[in-house]
Amino acid sequence: MPIPSPFQGHPTVDEREPVHETSAGGEGYRRLNRKCMVSMYIGHAISYAILLAGYLLLKTFSQEFLGQYYDLVQYAALAVLAVVLVYIVAAPPVYYARYRYQITEDKVDVRCGVLVIRHILVPIERVHQVEVSRGPINTLLGLADVTITTAGGDATIEYLEIEEAEKVADHLNNLIGRMLQDRITTTPAPDAGPADE
Amino acid sequence: MAGEKFRCHPSIIVENSFNAFFSIVILLIFLGAWTDNTAVLGVLALSPVALLLFYYRQWKRTTIQFNETDVVIKRDTLFQMKKTLPYTKMASVNMNRDIANRVFGTAKVLININSGASATTPEAVLTFKQDVAERLRSEMSQRLYDHAISQDEEETIESLATFTPLDVIIHGIFSVPTYQTILGSMFLAYSVFELYLSMVTEAELGAGAMISLLMFVGLQIMPSVSLIFRYYHYKVYRRGDTVYLQHGLIRTYRTSFSVSRVNAVRVKSTLAARLLGRSCIEAEVVGLASEDDESSSPVLCLLKDDATQQRVLRELVPEFVYERDPHKQPEGAKRVLQIRAGLASLVLAAVMCIPSLYVSREAAALSGISGIPDAVVQSVLPVGTALVILAIFYAAHVTYRVVEFDAGEDLFTFVNGAVDRETVVMNYDKVQMVWIAEGPVARIFGVARGSVYMLSSIGSSRIMSGYFPESYFNRINEIVMDRITSGRYDYRLNSI
Repeated sequence: MPIPSPFQGHPTVDEREPVHETSAGGEGYRRLNRKCMVSMYIGHAISYAILLAGYLLLKTFSQEFLGQYYDLVQYAALAVLAVVLVYIVAAPPVYYARYRYQITEDKVDVRCGVLVIRHILVPIERVHQVEVSRGPINTLLGLADVTITTAGGDATIEYLEIEEAEKVADHLNNLIGRMLQDRITTTPAPDAGPADE
Repeated sequence: MAGEKFRCHPSIIVENSFNAFFSIVILLIFLGAWTDNTAVLGVLALSPVALLLFYYRQWKRTTIQFNETDVVIKRDTLFQMKKTLPYTKMASVNMNRDIANRVFGTAKVLININSGASATTPEAVLTFKQDVAERLRSEMSQRLYDHAISQDEEETIESLATFTPLDVIIHGIFSVPTYQTILGSMFLAYSVFELYLSMVTEAELGAGAMISLLMFVGLQIMPSVSLIFRYYHYKVYRRGDTVYLQHGLIRTYRTSFSVSRVNAVRVKSTLAARLLGRSCIEAEVVGLASEDDESSSPVLCLLKDDATQQRVLRELVPEFVYERDPHKQPEGAKRVLQIRAGLASLVLAAVMCIPSLYVSREAAALSGISGIPDAVVQSVLPVGTALVILAIFYAAHVTYRVVEFDAGEDLFTFVNGAVDRETVVMNYDKVQMVWIAEGPVARIFGVARGSVYMLSSIGSSRIMSGYFPESYFNRINEIVMDRITSGRYDYRLNSI
């Protein structure tokens, strides 16, 4: 079976997942690979371990400094740890379930978020740079992020399979290249007039 | 100018050597604790000569060539450099004069490229004799904006509005953000309180009072004085499509930029300025970096009465004036703002519990104060917290009333701010990206907040809206896309 294109009209994703997601705000939205949850769990576990180490240091060394407020601070820290634990357990499936992205001929559209849902829209015309990057955890899992840079900031499509991330980057680069090529062929040669751009 | 080769004025040898020497002295002060004093003194004695020789060689081997199409800066030292700055990519050519320039009779020509990555620093800072700098700037202005401007013209041309020294002082004092003023006042109040305590208890004034006073000076006095010095002799005018700004008491600034570089226009007023019926205009302009690491956007009009400010806006940047049909926030936004205010109040009350108890207990233990002063000291934090909570709810109410959104044909506007208010008029063609965010509470009430990303004078900037239905922000994106696909967007004027 040929690998379908990751772009609108020819969506591909994890084969176990629905290809079209009309409920997320239109047709042609794509979902992430389930492995993204593993990556998030590992990342969260590392962050939680650092937080836990901080808590243990606080518990061990702060009694004298905090004096009568020691117990109060302990309870507050435990409450924070509990809330964070609940979040990091619950967040990955919610993040996975909510994440949708779509790349059309003229824009990149990403919908994501756990507590706050974000809808990011980047016109292809504004894209300056496309970067594929992956950290050690994502490398182990075969995932990568695509960062789309505009003059006003970055947007990232996260946790794509490496092959797909490369395809997305290539496709975006092709679209930008085509757009620039069109400009070269349609723009008259600059005269010696005002140097505006 | 074509083909002319220049060297910077030799005064930069002294200027650069002095700056580097200053850094070396600071380094040696730190190193002095670990090293032999003779070595430190030796380095101190030798470094001025070494620095002068180094910068002399660098000056001698650096040339600037003004060609027909570009400016080429070439340095033939150990670290060779050839920088080509095409006129077509230049965003602005400005001129600054600081104290060193006044001493040597020179001026700095700052060349800015339309770049996001280096938006905060000019691509080239070139020091020339003042008349040479004036001529070069004028000739480059001819190439950039299709008209030259001479120094005589700049001196005699009338500003779009008259800014008296009093206007500048008012701008300096009242354009400092209100939260900064409040914080500064709190530090002042604390140092006065410490002074009172030391008088009552006849104890020595603690270091806390001095630190607090310094914080007050740093937060309130210094920014105001700095603004007054910066915007003294303020003048603004427009010729063709170019906006010119001139100001400065000790350091002087001459700035010009094409209106096509303006990404957004902001009408701002702090609480105090509003009470005086004044507001100022700022612009988000790409490629205006100054070498002193300015973080502010160029001011197009100092704090003036609203009628003058509106006139300046219409005459200076009519491209950003349109008939607005603003939308107020829907009812759902009110609930979201109230819930947010409630949560913020709860957090504040929880955080202030311990300091309130601490102050109360400490005040009770002080033997020198009793009666009303004792009661005042004990209740200052709880009462202060209660007042802040009231202020939070009031701010939520005002925010609901004030915030507006308006999508016009070519421009759109966000009005924000409960205390310090700002009206930001943006051009669809300058929008880089739109983010729409729906928090858990906002989702319940069917509203979202939009963030528009654009390029500003300090790099990228994000302008946030209030709470509106998501469709409002989708509309911005639709218009942006529509302008691109239908050809209404002209990349030659907006290629950022």
